[in-house]
Parts: sequence; C-alpha cells; structure tokens
Amino acid sequence: MEDLKLKLKQQIIESLNLQGMEPKDIDDNAALFGEGLGLDSIDSLELMVLLERNYGIKIEDAREGRKVLSSVQSMAEYIQLHQKA
Amino acid sequence: MKPVYILSSSAISPQHSFEPENFLHPVKSTDDGKLFVVDPDYRQFINPVAIRRMSRLIKMGIAAGMNALKLAGLEKPDAIITGTGLGSMTDMEHFLKDMINMNEEALNPTFFIQSTYNSVNGWIAVQSKCTSYNQTYVNRGFSLELSLLDAQLLLNEATEREVALVGCFDELTDEYFIVKNKIGYWKKQLPQSRHLLKESNTVGTIAGEGTSFFTLSNKAENSVCILHGVKMIQSPTSAEISANISTFLQQHHVALQDIDLIITGMNGDTNFQPLYQAALEHTQPHTTIAAFKHLSGEYPTASGFALWLSAQLFSTQTIPEEIIYKRGATTDIRKILIINHYILNTASLMLLSN
Repeated sequence: MEDLKLKLKQQIIESLNLQGMEPKDIDDNAALFGEGLGLDSIDSLELMVLLERNYGIKIEDAREGRKVLSSVQSMAEYIQLHQKA
Repeated sequence: MKPVYILSSSAISPQHSFEPENFLHPVKSTDDGKLFVVDPDYRQFINPVAIRRMSRLIKMGIAAGMNALKLAGLEKPDAIITGTGLGSMTDMEHFLKDMINMNEEALNPTFFIQSTYNSVNGWIAVQSKCTSYNQTYVNRGFSLELSLLDAQLLLNEATEREVALVGCFDELTDEYFIVKNKIGYWKKQLPQSRHLLKESNTVGTIAGEGTSFFTLSNKAENSVCILHGVKMIQSPTSAEISANISTFLQQHHVALQDIDLIITGMNGDTNFQPLYQAALEHTQPHTTIAAFKHLSGEYPTASGFALWLSAQLFSTQTIPEEIIYKRGATTDIRKILIINHYILNTASLMLLSN
C-alpha cells in the first residue's frame, strides 16, 4: 500500500505538472481539491485519465469519482480493490 | 475609414524584444534553420496555478498580451482580437500522438482544450476580466492582417469601445520543421540566420516563431504611432504588388517619396525575391530599406514582428544596423511602409506614421 501511494503521488505530480512539488509534500489524507492541493475540475479529468491509463480503471459514475479522487489514500484504496489483474 | 492609434506594443521573439533595455541586442543567430523565441519570466504575467498546464505558445501569447496592456496603462481592453496561422502546435501534436498511441481512448483533456486556436484569447480575457468582443482569426498569412482590419472596423463604429488588444502568435516545433522541410520550405544549405539575406540566391528560407501584441485605440492621446491601413493581396505577381502599393498609398494620400523606411519581409528565398525587387524598384534615394526575417524567421504571422519593430523605431528614431538592407539618406522616421509576403502566396501592406 505504501509503495502504491508513493507511486501514485509521483504520477500525480508528473501528469498535473505540479512544478516544485515532491511526493513527501502530499499528505496521504489531505484533500486533493479545494483547500488541500488546490486542484480544479480539469485536474479531476486528468486524474481519471491517469487511473485509466496506468491501472486500467474506468470510473463511470461522477459521484463515485468525487469520492475516489478526494485524497491519495482514497485513490490507492480504490486501485487496490479494482485494479485489473 | 479612419486610422487607429497604437498605444503600446509588446513582442516575444527569437531576439531580445520583450525587455525594453535590450532592443535587438545582441542579435541571436542560429545555424540549424530554426529561430526559437527568447523566453521571458512568464510567472510575472500568468497565474501560477494556471501556468503549469500551459504550453509555450499559450504562455508567450498571454505574457505579450498582458504586457501590452500594462505598457498602455490599461487593465481591461474593450476587445481582444488575435490572429494565428498555426495555433498551438505543441498541444495539437501531443493530442494527435496520444490518439494514436492510446488507440483513441483515455486522452488527456488539457492538450485538447489548449490546442484550440482561441485559447490565448480566452486566457487573456480571463486574466484581464474582459467579457466583451473576442475573436481569433486563423487565416494563414493573413491572420494578423485580418485581426488588425477587424479592430480598425470595430474602433470606427460609433460605440463606446475605445481600445482593442490585437495580437498574433505562432510557434515552431521540430516536427513542423521536418514536415515543411519535405516540401522545400527551408534552405538545403542552412546559413547563419543573421546572414540569411546574403544567401538570397537559393530556394528556401529559415523557420521562426513569435508573438506580438498591440493596444489599438480610436483616440490619438498617448499614442506611439498611427496605423493608417492594412492591405491584403492574394497570390500576387510582382506587377500586382507594385500596383497595389501605388493604390494603397494613394488611398492614404501618401506618395512613395514620403516614405522614410520600408520594412520588407524578404526571407532569402529566390522564389520570392523578385516580388520585393519589383516593389522596391521605384523607391527614392532617401528611403531606407530594411528586412527582418533574418531576426524572426519565417512564420504565418511574422508581419507582427515588423509591426512591433515599426512601433519601436518611431520611439527610438534610430534604425539598427542589423535590419538595414539599403541605407537611404533619411534621418527622421515619420512614415513606414511594411511589405510582407508569406510562403503560401499571400502578401500584405501596412502604412504607419508618427
């Protein structure tokens, strides 16, 4: 799980081009949107693409997507549950 | 139609053009046929949260546009009108490569969103909180010219609009260079770019990129110079360019001998050199002839660099040696004629005075 979260943080930094940021700067449970990392709606689309490309996970339900993308922790848990073999 | 007044200008080009203290100095020259812009510190002009998603072209356009507003002492224009021949090539290339590599699935939205031609306008509108007229012209070698014409028409209307932000932007990518090389755009033996005009006996030119923005007003107050008019000529012959120059100048009650400086878009391509030679045949000894594409490279909206250059020269009243093709006896710069031809067989004329 810890390895997955570290990898996920690296992928988030790279795909969203979060310049000057390192994985250690992202708290596992901090909100990715709003007051936490301050991401916006386009970033949420980029994160959906990240999950689909890297883990083969497609989130169809927007309400479910909001929950999954709320933090690195929630994303990692969802990946563990749904990643295709 | 009444003329419009240029209040300010800002350019990001392969030369030192953005910072006022380094006007074209030192001249940047390359030997690989590509002139890429000198990037300024974009963070001064762009929201730090938004900048991470932007391609080079978007950053260039926003910075030059916002800087032109700043130089004119304005926060919000009454219209934003731009022209681009190619749009955001980098984002489009990313998007198309992704479509192929990902089999048209799971595509990044950012590249698609920002590959649209009006991204720069949109960002400037957001940053300057301008919700009025917003237009982007994508018409190859006429893109900037149509933007200027639209602005002139708009500012001639009896409305409350007083200032339009008008600009152009085009970027060069390695892929674009390779593709256009296959159809003979660029010289086979690439010269040092600053010596491009000395190599005018061979086919082809060199590639470039850049962005130029201007604040245009229908009021003369605080203006740098006057843009009297723009003329576009499709697929011209040498004789047609000469005839159009005569008619264009007559329309503005100016004689050829009144022109102090002619800035030409000569690009060292033997295919197009005769067009300029015919146009320059009847110029007077006091008129100085200048060229600029050895500094900017060739691209669809390169005439924007010439227009920016003109605005600078009216202020400095000094013609840098680097742009002189033939020195005339003139000492003052009161009237400038820009003659530009783009590879896809479009030519344009612009008349300015101080």
